[in-house]
Amino acid sequence: MRTANLLFLTASLVFCGIGVRPQGQDAPQETPKPVAGAEKGSLAPDFELKVLEGGGKTMQLSSLKGKAVLVNFWATYCEPCKIEMPWLVELQKKYGPQGLQVLGIAMDDAPEKDITKFARKMGVNYPVLMGTEKVADTYGGVNGLPMIFFVDRSGKIVDRVLGLESESTIEDSIKKSLAQEAPSAGSE
Amino acid sequence: MKRTHIVLLTVTLVLASMFARPQEPDPNARVTVDPISPVSVAMGKSTPVSFTLHIKPGFHVNSHQPTEQYLIPTEFKFSPPPDLVVAKVQYPPGVLTSFPFDPNQKLSVYSGDIAVKAVVLTSPQATAGKYTVHAELKYQACDNNACYPPKRVPVQFDVNIAKGAASQKARPNAESPHIHN
Repeated sequence: MRTANLLFLTASLVFCGIGVRPQGQDAPQETPKPVAGAEKGSLAPDFELKVLEGGGKTMQLSSLKGKAVLVNFWATYCEPCKIEMPWLVELQKKYGPQGLQVLGIAMDDAPEKDITKFARKMGVNYPVLMGTEKVADTYGGVNGLPMIFFVDRSGKIVDRVLGLESESTIEDSIKKSLAQEAPSAGSE
Repeated sequence: MKRTHIVLLTVTLVLASMFARPQEPDPNARVTVDPISPVSVAMGKSTPVSFTLHIKPGFHVNSHQPTEQYLIPTEFKFSPPPDLVVAKVQYPPGVLTSFPFDPNQKLSVYSGDIAVKAVVLTSPQATAGKYTVHAELKYQACDNNACYPPKRVPVQFDVNIAKGAASQKARPNAESPHIHN
């Protein structure tokens, strides 16, 4: 009888979720270090997004198959993104002839005209697409900006970076994404 | 169910309510706002209210007046009930700071703990009683090499409107309840 009561009490406690509070609960919570989503080695999730100043046109990532693609999530409110953008402009000029395509994905709530103005001011020479949460989620969510995914010619993610990295680090990842041969026709 | 079990279940539920874990804080919150004590104010009078913001170490947020137009300011939006107005919102000045991502540029930011002050005004026609002012703090945080999407923090506080009697810390001359900052 007593055993039954004890069992009942234990089950009730478990069911109600009573437990010892985690140690240090009152201490400030550590903010988990954010990481860029979408795993390295996996296929870059495809997307179709509206092109900024594109007159309603959209662009699909899969339309760039055979090229190395640098997918750069950014926003006008992001100061480190502003540092990186001129580098991307230069890298597009330098590696574009070898098959690199930089794609900017603006994750702003700002009006399109403000994003356009900003992109023009930064001298952006690559397509800027209007990002959506849905697309960002397929890349693991926007855990921070800037966030770059380096996609090789076969469509696989070869590197990913969250936060501002040096230009040389970005360039090294571009070289890695360009090194992969494009899949030959009919190889799929 | 046996009577013993009912007693045990009751004891369990009481214990559960005593030891229930508080709502888990958002692990991605870079800014928290202290709970605000209720304020009392007489009809047609005003009273100050203060909001304490804690910015996590290692992070900064833009001040209320950022140096660049594209930056998102730290800002409260108040939704008071009728006959109540939250006005004269005073944000502290930002601290001009340069960051490793651009040592040549100084941004107007907040870090650490800051206090935002405001005044609650009541209409002379207000009805005495307890009211809740709902508000929302919008901020956008960065650290030394990345920025994080803007966040909104819901905030609320209670205002007791007393009949006629002077409010605590009330100003001698009531200000118009129609002023918005």
